[in-house]
Amino acid sequence: MARLMFDAAAIFTVLFAAVMVVHRHPVKSVLALVVSFFGLAVCYVMLSAPFIAAIQVIVYAGAILVLFLFVLLLLNVPEETRGRDPRPIQRILSGGALLVFAVYLLGLLRGHGAPAGGPGGTVSFDVAPLARLLFSRYLLPFEALSVLLLAALVGAFVLAQQEKGETRR
Amino acid sequence: MIGGIPLGDALLASGALFLVGLAGALLRRSAISIFLSIEVMMNAANLALIGYGSALGTREGQIVVFFVIAIAAAEASVGLAIFVALFRHKETIDVNKINLLKW
Repeated sequence: MARLMFDAAAIFTVLFAAVMVVHRHPVKSVLALVVSFFGLAVCYVMLSAPFIAAIQVIVYAGAILVLFLFVLLLLNVPEETRGRDPRPIQRILSGGALLVFAVYLLGLLRGHGAPAGGPGGTVSFDVAPLARLLFSRYLLPFEALSVLLLAALVGAFVLAQQEKGETRR
Repeated sequence: MIGGIPLGDALLASGALFLVGLAGALLRRSAISIFLSIEVMMNAANLALIGYGSALGTREGQIVVFFVIAIAAAEASVGLAIFVALFRHKETIDVNKINLLKW
């Protein structure tokens, strides 16, 4: 039953990610990715990671993709035209590389089980042990992350602000 | 096995998601679509990490994914700011038309 639900959620996720890739309208493409990430959150719950599922919905689907939507609406990006490709050789080569990589990756993953020698046991569903780990052994990376986010905030502001003397379009 | 889910299923889902993201990154022409495809690949890696973490009975996988998601937020904000700056100069974000380092 759990396996059935996980597989259904995984197929749903991959399907909507594929919709994102093939859709030419950028806004619809982002919205398909939001749906795909909700499916991924269901996968995380089935793998007993409820906290990650929650931040997947809140941070990824809720914040990052909404940021994408804002930028798309700000820039008014047009729909990708179906016109002639100026460099068809690039597409052919990248399609071939993709095929080779797909065969390699699926061959690698097929029949790959859990490596022996792990701690064993099952991960319980509650979040408290995760918080204990995050605020004890991984406290330094956690604090460094806050500095990184501040740096990203300042960097994004500097990059996107209007330069002096530039007229507003 | 993680509560009835074999690890192979999680790995296969992760691999399929990664391939979809890679196809998007290679074949699309709009810079924002390429960026979204990179996000999909990152999520495929997250799924593999969570799958392995749960299969091994440890929470370290979830910790790593937590950091990856936070860094993805930082990366997305800076990347989109670059696109806004680029669009202001070039009036396009088609990667085939952005082929000069300096003009």
